[in-house]
Amino acid sequence: MQKISRRSFLKIAAGVGAAAAVPLTLTMDFKVFAQDIQDDKVTKVPSLCNGCSSTCGLWAYVKNGRLWKVEGNEANMKSMGKLCARGHGVAYNVYDPGRVTQPMKRVGDNKFQPISWEEAFQEVGTKTRQILDEHGGDKFVWACHGGKETYAAKFLDVIGSPNYITHYATCFTAKTNIWDKMCGGMYNPDFDNAKYMIFAGRNYAGGIIPAAMKRITEAKEKGVKIIVVDPRFCELATIADEWIPIRPGTDLALYLGIAHTLISENLYDKSFVEQFVFGFDFFWMYNKDFSAEKAAEITGISADKIKELARDLAANAPHAFLEPGYHGLHAHYKNSNETAMMNVIINALIGNFWREGGLFPAASTTFGHPEDTYFGPKAEMGSRADGAGVAGQYPLVEAGRGIPQRIPDMIEKGQAKVVFFYHYNPLRSAPEPEYQKKIKNADLVVSIPCDWNETSVYTADYILPENHYLERMEHPKVINGNIYWAAAQVAARFKALDATSSSLDLLDILKGFTTAYGINNLYGFTIEEDMAASLGPIGISPDKLKEEGCIELRTSVLPKIEGITFNTFTHKIEFCIGAWKKEGFIGVPTWISPLVEPQGENEFRLIHGKQPWHSHIMTTNNPYLMAITEDYNGTYMWMNTERATKLGLKEGDWVTVANDIATKTTQVHVTEGLHPDCVWVPSTYGTYSDKLENGYGKGFNYNDFIPARVDEKTGHVMGQECIVTISKGGK
Amino acid sequence: MANYVMFIDPNKCTGCNACRIACQMQWNLPPHINFNRLDECVEGQYPNLTRVITPLQCQHCDNPPCQTVCPTNATYKREDGIVLIDEKKCIGCKHCMVACPYEARVISESGVPEKCRFCAEYVVNGEIPACVSTCMCGVRTFGDMDDPASPIHAALAGQELMQLLPGHETAPRVLYAKKRR
Repeated sequence: MQKISRRSFLKIAAGVGAAAAVPLTLTMDFKVFAQDIQDDKVTKVPSLCNGCSSTCGLWAYVKNGRLWKVEGNEANMKSMGKLCARGHGVAYNVYDPGRVTQPMKRVGDNKFQPISWEEAFQEVGTKTRQILDEHGGDKFVWACHGGKETYAAKFLDVIGSPNYITHYATCFTAKTNIWDKMCGGMYNPDFDNAKYMIFAGRNYAGGIIPAAMKRITEAKEKGVKIIVVDPRFCELATIADEWIPIRPGTDLALYLGIAHTLISENLYDKSFVEQFVFGFDFFWMYNKDFSAEKAAEITGISADKIKELARDLAANAPHAFLEPGYHGLHAHYKNSNETAMMNVIINALIGNFWREGGLFPAASTTFGHPEDTYFGPKAEMGSRADGAGVAGQYPLVEAGRGIPQRIPDMIEKGQAKVVFFYHYNPLRSAPEPEYQKKIKNADLVVSIPCDWNETSVYTADYILPENHYLERMEHPKVINGNIYWAAAQVAARFKALDATSSSLDLLDILKGFTTAYGINNLYGFTIEEDMAASLGPIGISPDKLKEEGCIELRTSVLPKIEGITFNTFTHKIEFCIGAWKKEGFIGVPTWISPLVEPQGENEFRLIHGKQPWHSHIMTTNNPYLMAITEDYNGTYMWMNTERATKLGLKEGDWVTVANDIATKTTQVHVTEGLHPDCVWVPSTYGTYSDKLENGYGKGFNYNDFIPARVDEKTGHVMGQECIVTISKGGK
Repeated sequence: MANYVMFIDPNKCTGCNACRIACQMQWNLPPHINFNRLDECVEGQYPNLTRVITPLQCQHCDNPPCQTVCPTNATYKREDGIVLIDEKKCIGCKHCMVACPYEARVISESGVPEKCRFCAEYVVNGEIPACVSTCMCGVRTFGDMDDPASPIHAALAGQELMQLLPGHETAPRVLYAKKRR
């Protein structure tokens, strides 16, 4: 028996030195080989993917203390055993050379000095205290992605700051704001029982929820009709029955045309509307002249097609839906709010709420919490620095979400003095990076990232690195939302790997910081105690959760006809938003033109979307995901063939993209799969932190070209109200 | 002895590349060495388009040209149908790379023309290849044709099958559904 070393790419086992022994014959006994591999102990630890906000359940396979791979958890309703490319890639970020490996203190432009955690806590805690003592606790801002951590609120509560600001206004805030006002919360599609699905502004195959794609492709196999409305032939269009390219920024007109057809042809569910809708007549009064023909002129979709969509929705109702959408439409146009309203209205007109194959609210549950350990003084709560929910400023914006693009403005006006960024990088993910760089003018900027992102490099006085998600155990999460599931699930991240650097968990960072600030015992619990206290009331032990990775609670959201009520003032779906009328708006959606339009032969609307293997800007330093980008020319900007031909452009040509904010160069992908009015770029690229070597200098980002505007109703950035001129050459 | 085949339905693929990176993780490959790639075919004119993405990899041919040309018998075929390379015997002549009509081979870090292994060491224990288990759209099905309980039978039932480059008479073990668009 001769020993051979395992193949080079099996070097995971190299740490233990022993090579597997296999008989060297042409018909090797692979059962023996496999057994040997298994003898290298592999542990499986449950966690939740951090590649986007879907929190897919996964198992981390750890061998000899090193991550081997991740696999989807079958029990988790978001993953159903599947993971997308970014899920695999982001797990590997634990070995990202772009990680910040210990606390850093700025000592100059792009110059940082490593310091100890003790020094970091003392300096950050003392400085924050000095500034807030002088200017008030409400000058403190905690800016983050949103929905990912739970501990900051305790500190904000003690110092009297309401300034918890999320990224939502740059992403989908029109949707959450409007659905909450009109139906009292979000409703999610039932892929398994629908017979007809329209997707507009949501590309599940690009902004992936793996279980959604699993269920959509299974529905397709059963013969369910899938329609995709998108200016781009997106990844979901690949498997759709029909792709309907729409002039970007005109989805509102399409929806009004569909609603007009449903009502004027008496196709809508009158019984549902009578029982469960408030404001139908008011809506119709304002829109009875907005016919499918009028919608056709605006959208470029024929009136016959618009009527066909309406008739097919009605014919399949209630086993049909207009998918509620996501980032694609809900922060991008002057009419994004009204577009979100019309989405609610069309679904209500076909009466699909709470109906099999229609829309359902998310099943949920309530966690317990550790007992309070801080009984000291609390400052009076101040008013929001960003004006969200504040009378006379942005009264209709959800205060719980905030207006992140205003942070530089708040700093300039003295409304924000100390800003903490938690895994949030507005210098790349918010509009106009040169404007966002002014964040450095705050008295103190602290970033809590994993990697050397732009916000840390250009604005932070201190960087306090958090552990990678596989290196930390976290407060448990309710897994629900976005896609219909009859029961809520409970899952958590458990520590799969020892920290590879001297980064810490958020809880430990906040303990150190608040103690140095002078608040004793604000977080008087360990993460293990937090987990046990959280799960206690629902009867789940942390050990059980660690064993299964994801536990499903009792079924609580099933189709029903009786007892339907909506969490609004009238307990009905409100076609007319009362809060809007109070602010002087008419309250029902009517046609609103996009803010800007491309005019000349070289003008285009700049639109963007998620590439299937990247998660906006947070994956651009990942060597595996960037290798996919390289192999498939992922940084190319899409342009319609006819328009490209007029500009003398062919595949791969360099072009200069410009407007009054920025000028960038890139290569073009010439395609039949894009509406002629626009160019499309992935939302991923344009990394300009030179400490992120894999992504640095590749492609550009749409945020380079948009100003930091604030929509007057829901506070979004209007991210696709952007015209660029394109000319050949530049490189 | 098992009789392994893989069924790939390109009609379901949306091009997410999870198969590629799941495989890279399974086999600890570096970023630029991968055994799975996607071939995109877009046809038609705006606005009437079809896009079919065909996942490509080693076809585990029953008549493998790469084995025929290998001067040292480094490339060999197992009785269960899986084509593998014995790294110790490989002299790096790259004849196999030239012979493979599917361009399935890539040079590994140690200079060996590597390729998809059908997760050979794992499937013998009843595990599913990483590219199959991660695929959200159910593009891929792997199984043992001699095992009546294998999911491969249900996946193949009623499918009109095709093979890549039939003119090469390679007799692949990766079977494709006929393109329906």
